[in-house]
Amino acid sequence: MATNDVLRLEGLTRSFGHNAPAVNQVDLRLEAGSLFCLLGPSGCGKSTLLRLVGGYLAPDAGRVFLADVDVNDMPLERRNIGMVFQNYALFPHLTARANVAFGLEARGVPRSERRQRVDAMLDRVGLSSTERERRPRELSGGQQQRVALARALVIQPKLLLLDEPLANLDRQLREQMRLELKEILRTTGVTALLVTHDQEEALSLADRVGVMLGGRLLQTDAPRVLYNHPRTPFVAGFLGLANLLRVADAVGDMLHLEGGLSLRGKGTKDNRVMIRPEKFLLGPAAERCPTRWTGRVINTLFLGAQQMLQVAVTPAVTVRACCRPGEAGDGDEVTLGIPDDAVWIVPGEDV
Amino acid sequence: MTPSRFRPYLLASPAIVLLLGFFLAPMLQLGRVSLYDGGGRSGFGIGGGGFYKPNTWTFQAYRTLAGETYFREVWTFTVLLGLGVACITLLIAYPLSLFIHRLPPRAKALALTAVVLPKLANVLVLIYGLELLLSNSGPVNGLLVGLGAVSEPVAFFHNLPGVLIGETYLILPYAVLALVASLDRIDPALVPAARGLGAGPLRVFWRVTLPLSAPGIALAAMLSLIWALGAFTGPVLLGSPQELTLAVEVQRQTFENLNWPRGAATAVLMLVTLAACLVLYQVPARFLRRRGGAP
Repeated sequence: MATNDVLRLEGLTRSFGHNAPAVNQVDLRLEAGSLFCLLGPSGCGKSTLLRLVGGYLAPDAGRVFLADVDVNDMPLERRNIGMVFQNYALFPHLTARANVAFGLEARGVPRSERRQRVDAMLDRVGLSSTERERRPRELSGGQQQRVALARALVIQPKLLLLDEPLANLDRQLREQMRLELKEILRTTGVTALLVTHDQEEALSLADRVGVMLGGRLLQTDAPRVLYNHPRTPFVAGFLGLANLLRVADAVGDMLHLEGGLSLRGKGTKDNRVMIRPEKFLLGPAAERCPTRWTGRVINTLFLGAQQMLQVAVTPAVTVRACCRPGEAGDGDEVTLGIPDDAVWIVPGEDV
Repeated sequence: MTPSRFRPYLLASPAIVLLLGFFLAPMLQLGRVSLYDGGGRSGFGIGGGGFYKPNTWTFQAYRTLAGETYFREVWTFTVLLGLGVACITLLIAYPLSLFIHRLPPRAKALALTAVVLPKLANVLVLIYGLELLLSNSGPVNGLLVGLGAVSEPVAFFHNLPGVLIGETYLILPYAVLALVASLDRIDPALVPAARGLGAGPLRVFWRVTLPLSAPGIALAAMLSLIWALGAFTGPVLLGSPQELTLAVEVQRQTFENLNWPRGAATAVLMLVTLAACLVLYQVPARFLRRRGGAP
């Protein structure tokens, strides 16, 4: 059956020693030209999954299809997958240019064409002509990152794998490289699978994000869907800040929550209710909301564009809420308005 | 000198005293002895025979050596033997090191122990063990004859092959240690990275593993050469009178010919040869460092 999928994983499983599987029954499909991001805390199996796809590891069970071809038994040098390693894994004895040319050399591309393609790719990633003649140790982290990206892209791979590509850069450079990376990936039109533990990176770069925990893919969706409609408590908490409250009892369309709070909504006992901090309304707007909680501000964090409040709405429950800087201060009594669309009932449980 | 500037020297003083007293002083003494006039009869030699004429200064010993075909032949043989042993050692040690390098940690530790183990035994024990193994009625010849590979037992010692086998056997552990260390220093992600870029195992070896282990190869070659230039036990016990090296010549001139200036001059020239090798080694080593491999 021919599909438009560049990559398809079916029941991919791999364990190390006698431990629980690092990757457990993972199914995944990547359409051509898409940028998929695997997101999860360290040790969740996302890097292992990437290595299974690249052929750097063999799965215990399950299959990897590249453009509908089963590649389980194909050695990695024949898969034509580009990989950007977390530590870049550049060849220390070769210049930046020779590093990029390596894959073309292995494919027997003639010298003149090789030179032209290498230069075109280094132009695209923005490495200056003097930097091209330097060895990796003479280049900065950001420049090494560009070389690694060029080396993986110049072979025109069917699929590009990126393992925590921005993790080794300092914050400012990381933000800049994130923009450049997105631009480069979009203009080359390559299908990419990226691994990161940085939720901001995942949300800003990817078309679709898969959240992993304990070797399983909990949820795969577009970033907005994932953020607004998480299917499990872990997904809700891992992406951004979330107030998660357990439903103690559901009567009609009223939910009674732990700590004596209640709000309008449909759910069942033991469901989790998620309200993002920025969804609370304060001041006059709060008065028009169907549900209102009042509480005392016990802590404030100034975050530049906005201010984060910690509000004790009952003696046992504190929630986090965003407001404009200066709108409320420590010790203030505030009313938090909850519009109906601010409430999301998390339907599932973490496995 | 303030106390803080003095302290490092104080800490190093045992080593300094040791080096001055037991290394530098004998070296100077060696140099002095090489400048005596030989063949004296009034020295403190045993039975009245003299090792040298005291209170003389002459380059006679060096002049004799320089003009002699015999000495030049011994020198040339020693250097060629050193180069030959270094080459054979590398050819055996590199594949072995590659094999050990790829073993899982526990097996690697075991393999390295096995390689170094012979070094814990006395060198004479090793050589006599080799003789037993390689003798006409030994297991190696037994196997060769039994398989019909040869009709007569092969003479493995008291000839040049004997010396080569013996010296290689003695040097191999050092070369393997140097090579495994340099292979272990290579970033383990580089080989999979190269394969992921489409390079087959052979290309990965030529373009990645071999160039990055070049500093280790240079070091192993240097160690082997230095060791082989001082070859003594091998030539004496496994060679014939034809396999005469500088080290053996020093011993013969000093203790058999009782010509101390000549023995000392030979020793000095041997040291000069070693020093020249060390200097020459800097050339490839610097080149390799520039090529970016681990130093």
